Amino acid sequence: MGFILFDLLQDSSRHAATIAGWVQTRRPGQGEDHRNDVRLSRARAAVEALHPRSMQLRVEEILEESPTVKTLRCSRQDGNLPPFRAGQYISVAATVDGVRSSRPYSICSRPGIDRLDLTVGAVPDGFLSRHLLEDVRKGDALVTSGPAGAFYHEPLIDGDQLVFVAGGSGITPFMSIIRQAAADGWPLDITLIHGCRTLDEALFDEELSGYQRDSDRFRRVVVVSEPAEGYEGPSGFLDTDILRSAVPDAEGRVFYLCGPLAMVDYCRPRLAELGVPGHKVRAELPGTVTDPTQITGWPEGVRADTTFRLTLGEETLVARAGESLLAALERHGVAPASLCRSGECGFCRMRLVQGEVFTLPWHGVRESDGGKGYVHCCASYPISDIVIES
Amino acid sequence: MKAVVIGSGLGGLTAALTMARKGLDVLVLEKNAIPGGCATSFVRGRFEFEVSLHELSGVGLEDNPGRLYPFLDELGVLDRVEFIQTPEFHRSVFPDRDLRLPVGEAAYTAALCDAFPGSADGIRAFLEQVFITGREVTYFYPLMAYPTLPPPSRVLPLPFKTAHMMRYALLSWGEVMDRYIDDPAPKAVLSQIWSYLGQPPSRLSYTFMTSALHSYVSKGPMYIKGRSQALSNAFIELLQEAGGELRLNAPVVRIHTEGRQVTGVVLEGGEEVQADFVVSNLDPVTTCTELVGADDVPGMYWNRLRSCTMGPSIFNVYLGLARTPESLGLTDHEVFLNEGYDVEDRWQRMKQIGSPGELTVTNYSAVAPEKSPPGTGIVVLTTLGYIDPWLELEPDDYVAAKNRLADEMIRRAERVAPGIRGATEVVEVSTPLTCVRYTGQAAGAVYGFEQTPGETTLYRLSHGGPFKGLYFTGAFTQPGGGFEPVMLSGCAAGAKVAHRAGARGGEG
Repeated sequence: MGFILFDLLQDSSRHAATIAGWVQTRRPGQGEDHRNDVRLSRARAAVEALHPRSMQLRVEEILEESPTVKTLRCSRQDGNLPPFRAGQYISVAATVDGVRSSRPYSICSRPGIDRLDLTVGAVPDGFLSRHLLEDVRKGDALVTSGPAGAFYHEPLIDGDQLVFVAGGSGITPFMSIIRQAAADGWPLDITLIHGCRTLDEALFDEELSGYQRDSDRFRRVVVVSEPAEGYEGPSGFLDTDILRSAVPDAEGRVFYLCGPLAMVDYCRPRLAELGVPGHKVRAELPGTVTDPTQITGWPEGVRADTTFRLTLGEETLVARAGESLLAALERHGVAPASLCRSGECGFCRMRLVQGEVFTLPWHGVRESDGGKGYVHCCASYPISDIVIES
Repeated sequence: MKAVVIGSGLGGLTAALTMARKGLDVLVLEKNAIPGGCATSFVRGRFEFEVSLHELSGVGLEDNPGRLYPFLDELGVLDRVEFIQTPEFHRSVFPDRDLRLPVGEAAYTAALCDAFPGSADGIRAFLEQVFITGREVTYFYPLMAYPTLPPPSRVLPLPFKTAHMMRYALLSWGEVMDRYIDDPAPKAVLSQIWSYLGQPPSRLSYTFMTSALHSYVSKGPMYIKGRSQALSNAFIELLQEAGGELRLNAPVVRIHTEGRQVTGVVLEGGEEVQADFVVSNLDPVTTCTELVGADDVPGMYWNRLRSCTMGPSIFNVYLGLARTPESLGLTDHEVFLNEGYDVEDRWQRMKQIGSPGELTVTNYSAVAPEKSPPGTGIVVLTTLGYIDPWLELEPDDYVAAKNRLADEMIRRAERVAPGIRGATEVVEVSTPLTCVRYTGQAAGAVYGFEQTPGETTLYRLSHGGPFKGLYFTGAFTQPGGGFEPVMLSGCAAGAKVAHRAGARGGEG
């Protein structure tokens, strides 16, 4: 012990100095960081400016893009529009026929301007699209989330040679990226392949033709699947031949797919045939699935309109097998948190206590959650009577 | 007796479970949709990324238990979580040197002595001190979990049992190391894990660093099957079994006080919850400013808080690879990429967004290849940085700034994993502002207040808050930041609340 006591004495001057310095900084206002609380509010403000939890938009103008498609041009009422990555979406919430729900919509306008365009197409039985197309008027308010999603050009890994494959109204996220590229003087080389049923669906024709004229860094191919008689442009499905002729130098380019699930599933293997590695193909989140019974793995004998009892806490409701747990809960007035509605973000995570659900193949539940019965309600469908807890 | 815990980080969850086991009625309120604070994961495409855990210290094995072991054992967590031993401690890459450091006191010492024969005597003598101090800390930590002054039988031997720890308590790691070793190269390797603690050697608490190094080297670093989310989930499962409750998407906006006593909390939306105790896993500065109200906090406590210095935050680049890291030549779990041997300028550089200092390349596929689909891999690049420069940015410049830094980090990672950029399928970048966004912690300070000698050990903020019934847990409180310390802080805070509850229950 003796040597340690000696050492302690030896170091005592050092201790004394540290303690003196310490006492000094403990005096009010003397610490170098005494305005911690000020920095706190600045950090809060910085985060809110980048990632607002919700936004209050006002519809300033409604543009008719085609007989079935409108653009809602919005401004933000409760602050500046946050910066976003061209290609991201916002989730729009609304109450339709007494049911509170939300749907993600890609932002169609480019970042850096003081308006935000949502281009909405009619979807059969579309819950929110019908409301946005038919009920919303100029001057109306929309409540949305902040920008979200990871479907954008990522310069860290994507390079500048891009191919966009859009199906129908799946062109909206690409419009944002293309408009951004046009405004920046085409730092990106873009080929847009737009698959449409009819030429009417080839939205933004005038604007995109203009870009094609102005820059040799932008090319556009419209492929019509149900061509009118005498139509001479490219037609049919987005098969290997069409993809190859649109993009002769596919290798080394990054492909982005946005459109119906069937189109994305159809294109992936064809791009592989062209020599595009799988990790150079990015697809937008699939969004709401209209008919889960068509998905591989759906149990035989369960029809979309088969009903089961769904119990959450004290409440029991009747849920259709073809309707996600999230939609069923919303229809019964329970509005759990939700954002992507594609199974990935986890906002609508709940625990399945009893019964069975069918989960979509891309159900992005965490490994440790899966073992404990957690599901993401937006990508889970009841296939027996079930009990869940939040 | 009812206790509300604000935040479900590991500090909050350990406190909650400790209290629930002692018979308190516990409710944990979490603002996010997913519990766990930093101990969580997120999904992008076909990858699930670990958010924060590189290597877990303090667990050890049954025959060589770490500091956390008895606590986790008592709470029942060890039965619910599968720990995976990492094969090595870390690999250190310098411009002219590439070293792998093994686990085990003797092996670690030998590896360093072999690599730096000129400093071998100094290294041996220094590490002897370090490991003795580490063992002393192990003796000391359980005393912190005593709700009152520990019994004399534990306190009286302290000067003898913790002599080294006391001697060096107010010295920095760098200062003590300088007494034994001159060569900057071995010093840099010995100090390599400073980025786990947040301060370069000359500013880093010797005691805190020895406790961490001892914990890693002597007990072995661990990873968790199912990622750190599995640890959080295990706590929640046990909490619910013990009668406690967790509510997600439930941000607390106000702590109610009456006189000097806490009475409850208010949730967003206005719902009020009565409570005899509130344990805040949110940092004390934010708790006092935003939840209690700056004017209501006693001046003395306010001065105490203002004297503390916010530590650094963190910058991560999460890479989901379409190839295995092994096929890129990366086989180690934890690689430190160093620019040179002098790290003292890092503290200033951490206050800028410019070029990163040290870089950690964490290859999760090395410990648990099943963590991503076959033929793929997950690698995370990490560097420390203070939040301040991020507050100066215009919102429109944010993405460009974070991508410049991420780009430089990926470029540097190519040194140990050539071709990593081309193999990347998914990339996600987090900044100090991301830390604030998801955790709400002041300054995104992932390790709490700076872990300098004056702000660690007994000088770190204690768990008792400025009101009766208000307690703090987590990185900002004793013993400090990091997975192992915050779980210890939760055990201590929970024990203190349970003791008070028992005393008050007795009065009633």
